[in-house]
Amino acid sequence: MKFKFLLALLTITVAGSATAQVKFEDAIKFRQSGYGFMAWNMQRIKANVEGAYNKEEVIKAANVIQAIANSGMGALYVPGSDKGTGWEATRAKPAIFTDKEGVGKVAMAFNREANEMAKVAATGDAAAVKEQLGKLGGTCKGCHDDFKAKK
Amino acid sequence: MNSQRIRLWDLPTRLFHWLLVLCVATALVSGQIGGKLIELHGKIGLVIVGLLTFRLVWGFIGSTYSRFAQFFPTMAKIRAYRKGEWRGVGHNPMGALSVFGLIFLITVQVLSGLFANDDISFVGPLYGLIGKSLSDRLTGIHELFSNAVIALVVLHVGAIVFYVRVRKQNLVRPMLTGWKDDESGESAKGGSLIALVFALMVAGATLYGASGIWLPELPPAAVETPRW
Repeated sequence: MKFKFLLALLTITVAGSATAQVKFEDAIKFRQSGYGFMAWNMQRIKANVEGAYNKEEVIKAANVIQAIANSGMGALYVPGSDKGTGWEATRAKPAIFTDKEGVGKVAMAFNREANEMAKVAATGDAAAVKEQLGKLGGTCKGCHDDFKAKK
Repeated sequence: MNSQRIRLWDLPTRLFHWLLVLCVATALVSGQIGGKLIELHGKIGLVIVGLLTFRLVWGFIGSTYSRFAQFFPTMAKIRAYRKGEWRGVGHNPMGALSVFGLIFLITVQVLSGLFANDDISFVGPLYGLIGKSLSDRLTGIHELFSNAVIALVVLHVGAIVFYVRVRKQNLVRPMLTGWKDDESGESAKGGSLIALVFALMVAGATLYGASGIWLPELPPAAVETPRW
C-alpha cells in the first residue's frame, strides 16, 4: 500500500518537472528560431551589399529584422529558462534575468538600429545599407558579449 | 675591449617579427570591436597564417639563429640559464620558450578562426567545410585563447623591458637592425635566397588553402525575390 503511494508520488514529481521542462522548451525554441531567422536575413543583406544589390530583397530582409526586434521577444525569457533545451541547449546566461538594466540597454540599441536599417533599406542606397549593417551587427554583438554563453 | 659585432637576426626573420606584431595588434583590436571591423579581422588572420607558415619553414632552412634546432629549450639549457651558466648566442632558453609559446598560441588562434562564426553574418573562410555546431565550439576556443594571446604578449613585452632596463641588454636593436654588439660569437650563416623563395612559396600555398577560394561556390543569394 505504502509502496504504491510512493510510486504515485514519484511519478507525479517526475511528470511535474518534465512539464516544467516542456514549458521552457517551447520558449527556448521560439527565441532560438527568432535569432536564427534574423541571422539568415542579416546574411541576405550582406550578400546584397557585397554582390549585386537588389533593393526589394534588402527591404524584405530589413523588415524581417525590424519586425522580430520589435516583437517583444523579452517575453520568451521566462525566469528559469537559462537551463533547458529548445532546438539546442540554450546559451542564455543567468545574467539575462538579473541584469534588467543591462539587458534593457542592449535591447533598446538593437531595436533602434533595426528600425534605422528598415528606413535605410527603403532608400535603396547600397552604401548606406552597408554602413548600417555594420552598426546593426554591432548591436547583435552587444547583447551576445554580455548575455550569451560561449560554447 | 673587443668591440666586435655579429649578424644575428636575418632580414626575413626581422620582417616576419615586426609584421606579426602589427598583424596581431590589429587582429586583437578588430576582434574585440567586431561590427564593421570583423571583415578586416578575418583578412588579417589570413595574413598571419602566411606569416606563421613562413616562420615554421624558415625555422628549418633559415640562417643559424633562426633555426629551431639552434635555440630549442631543453631542460638542461633552462636549468643552466637559471643558474646563470648559459653561454649562447641568439634566443636564450627563456626567450625560446616564449617564441614557441607564442607560435603555438597564435597557431591555435588562426586554425580555430578559419572555421569560426559570429552568429550574425560573418564566417571564417573554411566554415563551409564543417557544420555550425563544430564551428561554435571552435569559435569558443578562438574567443577563449585570445585572452591567452594577450597575456603572453604582455609577458613578452614585459620581459623585453626587463632585459633592457634591468639586465641592460638591448634586445630590440638586434631585432631591428640584425646586428648584435659586443658579441664574440659566430655571425649567422645560411638562409639563402633559394631557401627564402622556398619558404615564401610554402607560405603562399598555405595561404591559398586557408583562404577557401578553392571551395565550391555557394548558390548565390536569389536576385529574383520569389513572390512567396
